[in-house]
Amino acid sequence: MIGGGVAFVVFSFEKIRELGDQSLSILFENFILGAISAYLLFFLSLLIIRYAVLILYSFMEHLEYVLRRKHHPENQRRADKLLPMITLVVPAYNEGPVIQQALRSLLLLDYPNYEILVIDDGSTDDTYEKALAVAREPHEVPIRIITKPNGGKADALNTGMAQARSEFVLNMDGDTKLSSNTLRACISHFDDPSVGAVAGNVKVLNRENMWTKVQALEYIEGLAMARKAQSFMRTVNIIPGPLGMFRKTALQQVGGYDRDTFAEDCDLTLKLLMRGWHVVYEPTAIAWVETPSHLLDLLKQRYRWTRGILQATRKHSAALWHPRRAGINFFILWYMLFEGIVWPFSTVLGNIFFVYIGLQYGVAIFLFYWWLQLTMLDIVAASYCVIVEEEDPSLIYYSIVFRLFYITVIDISKVFATIEEWRGTAMTWGKLQREGKL
Amino acid sequence: MDLISVLATVILIVTIGTLVVGVAAYAAFKLRDNRRPKRKDPKAAAEGVHKPIFLKPYSPTKAVKDPAEGS
Repeated sequence: MIGGGVAFVVFSFEKIRELGDQSLSILFENFILGAISAYLLFFLSLLIIRYAVLILYSFMEHLEYVLRRKHHPENQRRADKLLPMITLVVPAYNEGPVIQQALRSLLLLDYPNYEILVIDDGSTDDTYEKALAVAREPHEVPIRIITKPNGGKADALNTGMAQARSEFVLNMDGDTKLSSNTLRACISHFDDPSVGAVAGNVKVLNRENMWTKVQALEYIEGLAMARKAQSFMRTVNIIPGPLGMFRKTALQQVGGYDRDTFAEDCDLTLKLLMRGWHVVYEPTAIAWVETPSHLLDLLKQRYRWTRGILQATRKHSAALWHPRRAGINFFILWYMLFEGIVWPFSTVLGNIFFVYIGLQYGVAIFLFYWWLQLTMLDIVAASYCVIVEEEDPSLIYYSIVFRLFYITVIDISKVFATIEEWRGTAMTWGKLQREGKL
Repeated sequence: MDLISVLATVILIVTIGTLVVGVAAYAAFKLRDNRRPKRKDPKAAAEGVHKPIFLKPYSPTKAVKDPAEGS
């Protein structure tokens, strides 16, 4: 593709020379096309560097993890009576179809000292009654249920944290299923007093159609490559909503979750980072989640994520312009803007540009090389991540669908979401309707 | 036509189709979203005025002057 880009720039200037003193508009068109092709070339170089750096750092993090396990094997884990209590906060709003399965799976976690705190956020269905029924069943783990008027997820999580009886709080979604080792894996990171939070691994549970399988691959890539690399660099920028464990002291210091963004998990993470807390990633603590299985639901989710992340970035934008004071947070915010704005705009621009070239000049070959280059990057990344995560190898095939169709549709949605955020268009939360796949 | 040209044509057609589908899907999502009943202020609590439940960050105020010190 790089060759293709260079060829196109040369082609543009040749064209200008051939035209001689022909119309200025054609000259201008060639200038614009040349400028865009040069920009896309630059963008592609950035992408290649980004993939290479992320794969390298995530592999180093992986090696570090393997060595750590070798020196501290599972059988030398801390005695049960030395483990601190953990409170699992489960915010639930209309989670009726899944709340009982979710709670029963939480009772099976491998940890000696924890409580479950369900916050019914004014559900209009039978969430409260169903959760109460599980709480009344005989089991060793205490389950408390608090019901309150609807105030949003951030409000529910703040209620949960205020009511938590322990120093360590695990926040999750009402429809999430956790791997049994989650609590043991996460709590060990808090031996380091500078660690304020631990971000867990998130995997797709409902791999039932093309949309959910591509999302499964997307999550694996996002976590096994990007999040691991961030963890290695100590720049984890999002503690995912489905699984994040926090030191309560750190949460109190930053004032808990704010309600002024639609990505409260991202906002909270940035607040922790700005206060100097470290956030680490724990790949073996897994949250299984239900993802949108229909295109419009998926767009709704991504629209909210995009605007939410932009809102959180804007809220902490002071760090964008003060590198000395912000330190590593300066890079974190600029990286977030690159992924949130520059990347989707550039890929959409690239597609439109090469389609135009294909139709106007009859040279579709440039579009093919553009697509091939990006797809090759995706296949390499997917293969690496699937191997490291010991995932289903058939997911690698979906990297072709990912680049051919999926990411273009998502990027278009992100571009529109960015424009609407910039214009200040009103938006609603947009809760995903659960299908009870847990 | 060689293989590369055929593939390039296929990718061109698929990309045009995807761009059209992407814009159409976004329009459909917005249309569906706009037809749902909404609160006046989507960030406001459903009932009553929202007050923060969790602790707010501590910010020290001006030191209060000790009355024993006199003026």
